[in-house]
Amino acid sequence: MKAWFRLLRLDTLRLTRSTGVAVAVVLFLAVGIYAAWRGGRNIEAAASSAVAAETAYQDQLEYLLSSYPPTTDAGEVLYYLAFPAPQPSLPLAALARGRTEVEAASLRIRLLALEGQLYEHETVNPTLAAAGDLDLAFLLIGLLPLFIIALTHDLVSSEREGGTWNLVRLFARRRRLLAPKLAARAVLVGVVVAVPVAVAAALAGFGPDGRAAWAVALVALHTLFWFALCLGVASGRRSSTANAMILVGTWVALTLLAPAALSLANAILHPVPEALELTVRQRQGYHEAWDLSKAETMEVFYEDYPEWSDRTVPEDVFTWAWYYAMNHRGDQAARDASRAYRDVLREREDWARRWSLLVPPLAAQLALDRLAATDLGAQLAYQDAVRRHHERLKAYFYPLFFDAAPIDAVEWNGVPAFEPAAREESPVRAGLPAAAALLLASILALAAGLRSSGPRAD
Amino acid sequence: MGLRNALLVARRQVGAVREDRYVVFLLGLVIALGVVAVLGARHHAASEAEQRARYQAMVERQWVEQPDRHPHRVIHYGFLVFREEAPLAFFDPGVGAWAGTSLFLEGHRQNTANFGEARHATGMLRFGRLTPAAVLSLLLPLFVVVAGFASVSAERERGTLRLLLAQGATPAQILAGKVLGTGAVAALAALPVGLATVAVAGSGAIGPVSAGRVAGLAAIYAAYLAGWVLVTVLASSFRASSRSALALLIAVWVALCVAAPRLGASVAGALHPLPSRAEFTHQVELAMNAVGDSHNPQDPFFRALRDEYLARYDVASVEELPVNWGGVVSREGEAVSSRIQEEQQRDLVEGQRRQDRVLSWMGFISPYLAARDLSRAVSGTGPEAVEAFRAQAEAHRYDIIQRLNDLHISEIRYENDRAQRLPREHWAEFPTFGTRPPPLGGTLAARSLSLSALALWILLPLLGLGLARGRLARVGVERSGS
Repeated sequence: MKAWFRLLRLDTLRLTRSTGVAVAVVLFLAVGIYAAWRGGRNIEAAASSAVAAETAYQDQLEYLLSSYPPTTDAGEVLYYLAFPAPQPSLPLAALARGRTEVEAASLRIRLLALEGQLYEHETVNPTLAAAGDLDLAFLLIGLLPLFIIALTHDLVSSEREGGTWNLVRLFARRRRLLAPKLAARAVLVGVVVAVPVAVAAALAGFGPDGRAAWAVALVALHTLFWFALCLGVASGRRSSTANAMILVGTWVALTLLAPAALSLANAILHPVPEALELTVRQRQGYHEAWDLSKAETMEVFYEDYPEWSDRTVPEDVFTWAWYYAMNHRGDQAARDASRAYRDVLREREDWARRWSLLVPPLAAQLALDRLAATDLGAQLAYQDAVRRHHERLKAYFYPLFFDAAPIDAVEWNGVPAFEPAAREESPVRAGLPAAAALLLASILALAAGLRSSGPRAD
Repeated sequence: MGLRNALLVARRQVGAVREDRYVVFLLGLVIALGVVAVLGARHHAASEAEQRARYQAMVERQWVEQPDRHPHRVIHYGFLVFREEAPLAFFDPGVGAWAGTSLFLEGHRQNTANFGEARHATGMLRFGRLTPAAVLSLLLPLFVVVAGFASVSAERERGTLRLLLAQGATPAQILAGKVLGTGAVAALAALPVGLATVAVAGSGAIGPVSAGRVAGLAAIYAAYLAGWVLVTVLASSFRASSRSALALLIAVWVALCVAAPRLGASVAGALHPLPSRAEFTHQVELAMNAVGDSHNPQDPFFRALRDEYLARYDVASVEELPVNWGGVVSREGEAVSSRIQEEQQRDLVEGQRRQDRVLSWMGFISPYLAARDLSRAVSGTGPEAVEAFRAQAEAHRYDIIQRLNDLHISEIRYENDRAQRLPREHWAEFPTFGTRPPPLGGTLAARSLSLSALALWILLPLLGLGLARGRLARVGVERSGS
């Protein structure tokens, strides 16, 4: 045992003394800590965006109340007022930013037709969004494997090429020689993973809860997969160069090609014409109503809200009850297209989750996004929460419209607050399939590597 | 004599690559991926374009088929426009997927374009896309590395380098030959993607493509890949072993092609943060509230406007004005609110351009960024194409809204204003929307940073090879020869 630890120390020293390894470790740590810092900043930016939505509401309300006489119809003032619907982000989003770069998490919703407001996106610069963000997930899932490859591809071949393999083989069995070498590399990789994750945890404030534990477990399993693959390939009798080319080729296939091919397939298999369809329909549904009799519009309105069917509107004058009912008609007209749109997106998400299990980096990445609630599923859940909020707001204000109440009569303190989407999916459900897939992939990679390396002549 | 030697070395290099089963396999793979990418992208681009055209036609028909309406009603009915992708988007989709596709133009407010393709995509998209441009700019350099990392070092390791020198080949001829040989292999790998692209572009199936743009793309990628060939041969000539040359080159590829784009984007975002959507809309509202509201008759700005009109026409009340006062308020209100919103929007776009400039400077570190920037510019899929659409759509919006306001002013009487309608014949008189893409010359002229970065990407390794020439026979001698 003592000898084992001496070998471990010796190997660790040998590793860290190599200039290439030292440079890689320093770079990785630097970029990792930077990414952790950015993750923390992004969480702060999301929080200040939520504050901005709330402040904007207060400012707008104050402005409207001061510039309109108190006898103005409530419906007129509410035409302008945008209600905040901020979805707080999970601290884990600092680790896996997912879609939060493009999706607005603090929508501002007016009482008008919802479908025209629901799909606002962030003020993101498309050039930056196209490049993709440098979050810790990218570093740990995308780049870390290359670091592992650099450290382990010549585990055996370097000794063989240096002529020392036969010598050391005299003193110990193969396994006893490889174990401390691997352990030394695992320690090094562990350090470059742990430091940025700890920094991110401190900055974004995620503690050792179930989600964070699953996230760390997934990163660890993904790392294990690459170690297994590298060990499998490196224990063969190929040269260091051949090992490096095979492993880098595998990395390109798993991290660049497979995801890109699956994305393309997903887009072709599940087209989304509904996005444009619902935009067109909502607009038509609302505007057609101007050319219909008011009774016709109200009739379809009462279909959705039978509780108000005893409140009628006059045919010959403009009423805000009718105006907002026309807006509702727009949402009604877009309803099928909107549902179809959501269905397609869910199909895409399910399809992606299923197929990702075959590609370890994808499995880990999508599960991380899911744990951090920055995936497409979380976005759809947020949109549903906004829909519910819009309904609550309608329920609150419609009685005032039917009464043609003035702004005086509005109880502003009683306006329903946004209820964010519950993150109800358990971390186990989000993490377990990917974890199992990664474990299986590790075993397969090791077995395949060891088999393909053939009978060992040493 | 010199050329002959270089060509002999080049042939030798091609022969060495042909014997390497792994490289031949990769060559096939890169070619297959490139062609698949072209075909997939063509299919995708065609169906997207067809969809947008269909909805654009539907929306235009709906506009003309509107019944008799009050012009202010039509101002709110508005107009829906769809962003067309440039014909070469199938080759390099650029930033289009992350910019909105459909934009609703209405009175009083500037909306943002919604439903970019990326919005419909899952988290997989984060890993990148399989496009012809990605094959050429991301995968081909790695192939060049694999095909060329041993070009000089293997000769040295086998001892044949000394033989070549002894047979009278100068170091310069050997290096030139290695560059030519590796370059020929790279060209072979890139050619099928290029030909497939030319075939699709030439077929006109996705719109007319100018030969100038195709030639521009060819020049950009040729220069970019030539830089990789030079760097690869350079690393192979000064590293002591093939193994360390490969390690160095792979590290360079990862740094320049994989890490740098994201690091650059992240740093650009950190240096020049943009306001969030909520913050931006809040700013716009504050600016608008400071001026006034055309729908609110009590507003001071519009009271002043009324007094001016009463004085100009020398009447006592707005009812006596020869023009429709309601329409005047609407037109002036639109002019003011459009100006304010456009100022805010320009600030936002200016912030994005500042971020883009950070990335342009990063092009001096990562030629991948420079080549990508130029490729998008030539393909017509860069940020300026998105901005051109936004600005043109806004101009179209303003034009349509003010025409409607003018109709309101001249064709609708002030008393009982809202009960009147304009006959539907008017709707057919309005112009339809079409995007005018920014011209190639201007787009390229604005990219002097990326152009010089790409030039340096060739010149610096050339300089390096010039210096390496003198040391060629000595590298590794200290260690392996002693």
